Amino acid sequence: MSAKTNQPPRPTDAELEILTVLWSLGPSTVRDVHATIVRRKPAQYTTVLKTLQIMADKGLVKRNEKQRAHIYSAARPREWTQQQLAGDLLQRAFGGSAASLMLGALAAHRASPTELAELRKFLEEYEKGKP
Amino acid sequence: MSHLAAWIHTPLAQAIGWTLAHFIWEGAVLAAVLMALLRLHREAPARRRYALACLILAAMPVAFAITLAAMWARRPASVAMPIHWAPLAVPQVPISVPSPRLSWAAVLDRLAWLVPVWFAGVAFFYARGLAGWAAVRRLRRRGVCAPAPEWQARLDELAARMRLLRPVALLESCFTDTPVLIGYLRPVILLPLGCLTGLSAAQVECILLHELAHAVRHDYVVNLLQALVEGLLFYHPAVWWVSRVARTERENCCDDRVVELVGNARVYAATLAVLEQRRALAPQAALAATGGNLMKRIRRLTKESRGAQTSAAPAFSAALLLVILAAALTALPAKLPRARHAIPAGVALAPPKPQTAAETTTPYRKWLKEDVVYIISDQERAAFQKLTTDAEREEFIAEFWLQRGSAFKEEHYRRIAYANQHFGGSKAGWKTDRGRIYITYGPPDEIDDHSSGGSYRRPPEEGGGEVSAFPFQQWRYRYIEGVGNNIIIEFVDHGGTGDFRMTSDPSEKVATPYRKWLNEDVVYIIGDAERIAFGELTTDQERENFIEEFWKRRNPTPDTVENEFKEEHYRRIAYANEHFSTGIPGWKTDMGRIYIVYGPPDAVATMGAAAEAWIYRYIQGMGQNVTLVFENSQGDGEFHLTNDPMRKPN
Repeated sequence: MSAKTNQPPRPTDAELEILTVLWSLGPSTVRDVHATIVRRKPAQYTTVLKTLQIMADKGLVKRNEKQRAHIYSAARPREWTQQQLAGDLLQRAFGGSAASLMLGALAAHRASPTELAELRKFLEEYEKGKP
Repeated sequence: MSHLAAWIHTPLAQAIGWTLAHFIWEGAVLAAVLMALLRLHREAPARRRYALACLILAAMPVAFAITLAAMWARRPASVAMPIHWAPLAVPQVPISVPSPRLSWAAVLDRLAWLVPVWFAGVAFFYARGLAGWAAVRRLRRRGVCAPAPEWQARLDELAARMRLLRPVALLESCFTDTPVLIGYLRPVILLPLGCLTGLSAAQVECILLHELAHAVRHDYVVNLLQALVEGLLFYHPAVWWVSRVARTERENCCDDRVVELVGNARVYAATLAVLEQRRALAPQAALAATGGNLMKRIRRLTKESRGAQTSAAPAFSAALLLVILAAALTALPAKLPRARHAIPAGVALAPPKPQTAAETTTPYRKWLKEDVVYIISDQERAAFQKLTTDAEREEFIAEFWLQRGSAFKEEHYRRIAYANQHFGGSKAGWKTDRGRIYITYGPPDEIDDHSSGGSYRRPPEEGGGEVSAFPFQQWRYRYIEGVGNNIIIEFVDHGGTGDFRMTSDPSEKVATPYRKWLNEDVVYIIGDAERIAFGELTTDQERENFIEEFWKRRNPTPDTVENEFKEEHYRRIAYANEHFSTGIPGWKTDMGRIYIVYGPPDAVATMGAAAEAWIYRYIQGMGQNVTLVFENSQGDGEFHLTNDPMRKPN
């Protein structure tokens, strides 16, 4: 399927975790990825390595073999994968109620462009007013 | 359908139908009350506005329940009899003009049909909430990664500063595009990817403080209760409005707390704006909903002053609330002549009396707040606080120890005793950081003790080299359940007061010039209170100011530039180092100490190489002709004072 559409398939949960690490750290070695994962839960180095190899085959990650330690990076940006996963029925149908159950520093809705412009202006004025 | 048709004519369905109808005006009245209260408290702190919104929101289901009880009470005695709504029955006199209005009986009949609709709505909202809750729980595990350990450590530090006992985990998530807190017993803060690297440390700290404020205030639980009320009374817009007010004010409460802790509204306001701008760059994320107005919040934060409150306003609004609620509730039974029980007005106003720890008697309070404070779970704590009799509490305590196995209790009290014996100082041993760790995790497998301070060879990963260090200890645990392997905990005593504080920053133990000042220059003349005050200081600027003040207080001629006291003091130190140094620096010897504190003696009598006596004509607090004898008992040239005037009586 992935060969036909030339798009990587939806990542599994384990793959998503590795992708998250790669998005967070940027291009990394297996060692770096493993070190980050074990901070949260026990994981075998070989498992991480194997998963990364599978992900490279699937086209989820890119492998740079120029150096002795291969460098992996996410094939797609976070936003792309997020859109892909947003198709998740649970997420779509109940996203709203889920959002109201979380306590965030920002409101769950995004500011409109005008609101953003207003924000920027306000902060600039505030900074000016109080040197 | 016929079952349903039959059911809606049962007294219960009729009672619910009436209650739903009555709640339309009740909800509107309550919302109007809140609106009036908020107007009165426009300038009040967010905390109070939040409390008002919560109170009104809680009053809504209470009003609903009371109405339902009243409606149930006036149900007809016999179910078999046809139902007549006597007070509102159709007039027997035929209406001459044909009216387009429906008759009351027909309205009532339709009203009853609302009941199944309402049930379906409640079921929908609760199912939706449950699914949302499950989705949120999945966010803890899916698409997350742990940030660099320094961030977790910083978070723990901030949590300790906010006195949050529950451990909070910090994770980066690829799903959220705004920082959020989820969970109550094991709260997790999720940060959007890139948040930690894209913002300054101060900005990240602001965000963490905001989320921690939510955790400290138990907002997660309140929010869940709020969702329950929303689902139950979903059909009334007033409920949603009140709930939204509560949410907004809750954010404001946390904003206030952050500004209080950071001390700078501008940094925080900028943080929120930057966060929002970063979010605007990303395409629409998976989670979205409505609510909140960032501009308003920032305006509020940056407002110059929030005027001091007059104390009359809260009292007035409380009275107003009482009167309106009482009126609303008394009006209800009055309309129901057949009511069997009149519902006492004001029932809704009596808040459920919280069984706080303050009400439990002292030995149990001590048990809860001291003996087991570090090991009792939040659930157990809550359960214990709900108990009302001493017998119940005794039973609870017995069960508590039983659950933890046979030797646990003994070991636990041994640890407390050990902590009190070894770590006590200005505060009780169990309250210190070392005591807390010792009691929670037991004796460490290894202690690297540098509690005398001095020079310290730094490991390369901390920067290497030979540095002067504060007194510190490193405790190593081979394994701590739920934390990990090979855990090293570092405690540093900044003030030299014996109060070792836990720290996650390896550079905290490295002494600055100020440490030399405190523990060498003025070690003999600084007061205990001054020493403690100095230990509390956090910035070098504060320390500079403190030192300046310190000397100024002692200046005998405050109006001249010279400070004779300070000059004389440093002269004495130099003299001591020149004349009394043996294996140790002169200022550290007994002679050095006496010389620095009391100055040169008026007379000196040497008794060979074995002893030396210093005679002072007068020392304040000790009287005239004070003789201090130094003995060289070991014959190593070190003279020890035999009658130490500074030693505190035991």
